[in-house]
Amino acid sequence: MGLIRVAWSDVWSRRKLIRYLVAADLKKKGRDTLFGNVWWILDPLLQMVVYVVLVSIIFGRAEDDYALFIFAAILPWKWFSSAIGDTITSVSGQDRLIKQVQFPKIVLPVAAILAGITQFAFGMVPLAALMLLVFPDRISATLVLIPVVAAVQLVFTLALGVLAAALNVFFRDIGNLSRHALRLWFYLSPALYGAAVINDVARTHPQIATLITINPFYPILNAYRSVIYEGTTPDWIALGGVLSVSLAFLLVATWFFKRVEPTFAKVL
Amino acid sequence: MISAPNGTDSDGPDPTDSGRLPAIDVKGLGVRYSLRLTRKNTLRNSLAQFVRRDGGGGHFWALRDVSFTVVHGESLAVIGPNGAGKSTLLQALAGIIQPTEGEIGIRGRLSSLLTLGAGFDQELSGRENILLAGAFLGIDDSEIQRRLEDIVAFADIGQFIDAAIKTYSSGMRARLGFSIATSVDPDILLLDEVLATGDQVFRAKSKDRVLELAKGAKAIVLVTHDMHWVTEFCNRAMLIEHGQVIAEGQPEEIVRLHEERSEETRRGAAAPAI
Repeated sequence: MGLIRVAWSDVWSRRKLIRYLVAADLKKKGRDTLFGNVWWILDPLLQMVVYVVLVSIIFGRAEDDYALFIFAAILPWKWFSSAIGDTITSVSGQDRLIKQVQFPKIVLPVAAILAGITQFAFGMVPLAALMLLVFPDRISATLVLIPVVAAVQLVFTLALGVLAAALNVFFRDIGNLSRHALRLWFYLSPALYGAAVINDVARTHPQIATLITINPFYPILNAYRSVIYEGTTPDWIALGGVLSVSLAFLLVATWFFKRVEPTFAKVL
Repeated sequence: MISAPNGTDSDGPDPTDSGRLPAIDVKGLGVRYSLRLTRKNTLRNSLAQFVRRDGGGGHFWALRDVSFTVVHGESLAVIGPNGAGKSTLLQALAGIIQPTEGEIGIRGRLSSLLTLGAGFDQELSGRENILLAGAFLGIDDSEIQRRLEDIVAFADIGQFIDAAIKTYSSGMRARLGFSIATSVDPDILLLDEVLATGDQVFRAKSKDRVLELAKGAKAIVLVTHDMHWVTEFCNRAMLIEHGQVIAEGQPEEIVRLHEERSEETRRGAAAPAI
């Protein structure tokens, strides 16, 4: 418990550093490409188009208003997967700095995760455009609940990111493994499909169906879909369950990070 | 001709409270590296080690039984061959690595210049990097903002300050790093082989800055291979080999001892080849 308190005071006392790191991250991401941050708007839209073509035209089994149905899931998933991808290398990528300066290393994964929020916020622009122009009937008051669901997702992302960043210092395979793991995770989450498909899977492969439903992204993506696509309030009990598990996970991950932090400079 | 900032211990700084208590007090310091957890570990290696049930190569003591003190106003040179543990010592003093055994007592604000500009972000401008470096070093943001102009002026990089660091020459980068680390009025300054950077003009300037810091009753620990610096500017020297303190004392004596021992090693290494 002591280590967790230290971690919290590390983050709080270095909030300025975290802010600089986030700003630097955003600046670099925008600078790399011709369109800069416009890609945060285009990326989910293009990905949505790909899946609409694949699922509704080629496989021919799409839900109503399929574009919005999957967009409500693609947006948070892209945020999650790119935040995790960035965070995994946030500590191991700063090896030179870590060997030169004494500072609380926990600011690195925290800054990487926080930088991802902006990407998600940018994603609200194409979502608003899609709803206003194509699906105005779907607009409902429950859209204001998006930040609540996002907050739950943030806690889970933070926990996983802090853990993965620490592990990647010792095992560089985590980075390679994560790309495939995240892809599989995406397909095992109800992003491209809904309850009907899960019921089908449950008949043929009950273990896989169980895996889909115990996955934290099952309640998270369902909650996004409730507030964006269906216009209903999310399943608060399921969402509260994810939040409690994520908070516990965050405590464990933070404790682990602080525990191994003193060895980073020796291992890197 | 540059004279040492302080003479012998007797006419050193006033024996005030801060002068009496050593700025750095190291007792029985040992730093052990586990060879199992060295760089670029992969799951495969770990699994292999786990299957073989061996400890994975055991341990290596980078430093062992190192004890010394540095009082305010003193500048200690640490010399020794490559791989003797000099840089590890500075890393331990800076708190970057934890001692495996022994104690390190630090009194005062510490600034380290271990490798110049290693923490720079290539994509950001010089100015942005100053703010970022200051935040990493734990300097108050208002303080670094206040010192910004001084840092820029001392580094002497002119209009490049708003250009990305990746466009800088290595000399400019080193000057900026030196300027940041010495701008913070440290009580204790750790320097690792950084004085030989930059052109003649900057080298003279950085020498002046280091001397100025030393005069302000600051303690300095310097790791260098430049023996002129040791004899000219440090008032004490310590020779380490294989992680252990071989000798400590007057710079001239220690440098002579180091040179004799290196000569012996060279002869020893050359002998079998003949």
